[in-house]
Amino acid sequence: MARAKIKRGSTTVDMTPMCDVAFLLLTFFILAAKFKPEEAVKVVTPASVSNKVAPQKNYLEVIISKDNKVFLDMDPAMKEDVLDELGKERNISFSAQDKKDFLNAQFVGAPISQLKQFFQLKPDQLKGANLQGIPVDSANDELQSWISAAVNAKMGEQLNFLIKGDDGSKYSTFSQVLDAFKKNDQFKYELVTSTKDVPKGSELFKKNMAEQAAGKKP
Amino acid sequence: MAEMEVKESGKKGPGVKKSKKHSTRVDLTPMVDLGFLLITFFIFTTTVSQATSMNLNMPKDTKDPNLDTKVKESGSLTLMLGKANVIYYYFGNDAATMKTTGYKNVRDIILKKKQATPATDLFIIIKPDKDATYKNAVDILDEMDINEISRYAMVDPTPDEYSKIQQTEQASGIK
Repeated sequence: MARAKIKRGSTTVDMTPMCDVAFLLLTFFILAAKFKPEEAVKVVTPASVSNKVAPQKNYLEVIISKDNKVFLDMDPAMKEDVLDELGKERNISFSAQDKKDFLNAQFVGAPISQLKQFFQLKPDQLKGANLQGIPVDSANDELQSWISAAVNAKMGEQLNFLIKGDDGSKYSTFSQVLDAFKKNDQFKYELVTSTKDVPKGSELFKKNMAEQAAGKKP
Repeated sequence: MAEMEVKESGKKGPGVKKSKKHSTRVDLTPMVDLGFLLITFFIFTTTVSQATSMNLNMPKDTKDPNLDTKVKESGSLTLMLGKANVIYYYFGNDAATMKTTGYKNVRDIILKKKQATPATDLFIIIKPDKDATYKNAVDILDEMDINEISRYAMVDPTPDEYSKIQQTEQASGIK
C-alpha cells in the first residue's frame, strides 16, 4: 500500500518585507523626533524628587550658569509684548529689525546697553562668545526691569516663573535673582530640576506607597 | 573490450575545479531584530525629555518684626549651609552649640527632630551663606519634601552667624 505522502513545503519565511517595514517605521520616528537646538549655555541642574512637569506655556525662565551669569528665556508668544514694555520702562526704542532679531534669539544674555548687538549674534557665535549675562546686583538690577516688563505685558494673567540654576552656581547669585522677583511682588516660583528617585523608607516614599495603595482600592 | 568512461565536463578545460555552489540567500532575521531595537529606542527617547520642576514659595519681605512668623524655640532647627558641602546646625536659639554635618547625615538629624517635636511646633530654618552653592540649597529643599516637613523658611544668616561659620571653616582648614 502506498503511504500517503505529505507534500513538504518550505518553512523558511522571506524576511525582506518585514525588514522594509521596520526601516520605514524607523525613518519615520527619526524624522518626526525634533531635536532640541543645542543650548549655548549649558546648565547642569541639581536633582530633586519632584516629578511635576515644568510648564511650557506663559513661562519666564531665569537661567543661572555655572559662572554665576544670569540669562533670561521666555515663552515666544509673549516676547514682542515684553520687549515693548521694556522699551517703555527704560525709554529705549526698538526698531522692527531689533524685534525680529529678538524673536529669533534663543535667550537674553547681555545688559540692556548691549542688547541690540547681542540679538544679532548667530547661534553658533553664541557658544564661543563671552556672554556677560544680565546684571543682577542691587546697584544695577536689570533683571528686575525684565520681570516687571513681563508682568506688565501679561496684565493680570498668571505667569509661570522658572529658575534653572547650575549645580555649581553660588547661592548669592540665586539670592539676587530672588530679590529681583521679590521687588516685583512675585513669590511663587518653580525650580527646574532633574529627576531623582524618592529614597526608600523615607516619609515621602511611605506617603506615595500609601497613596498608591489607596488609589488601587475602588 | 574495456570501456572508457568519459565524464562530460562541459567546462573550460582540464585543471578547472568545479566549485561547490554556495547558497546566495541571506537570512535577514537579525537585521529585522536590530531594526526594531532601534525603533524602540527612538520611541522611548523622544518622549522622555521633559524637564521637571520643584515648587518654591517665599514669604513677603517685611521690615515690621511683628509680622515675622513666630517660631517656637523648642521646635526649631536651624541649618546653615556653608562652603564645601558642609552643614552647620543648632537647635532653638543657642547658636553656640553649633555642630557640623554633611548632606548624607542631615536626613537623620531632621527625622530625629521631627519625631521629637509636635507637628505644630516643628519649624526648620535654612540659612545658606553666600559661599554655598545652588545645588546645596536645592538639596536641602528636596530634603524638606522627602521628610514631609511642611513648615520651613529660607533666610540669610546674620553677620554673627556668618563670622562664626568662617571661624569654624578656618579652624578646620576648609578653603
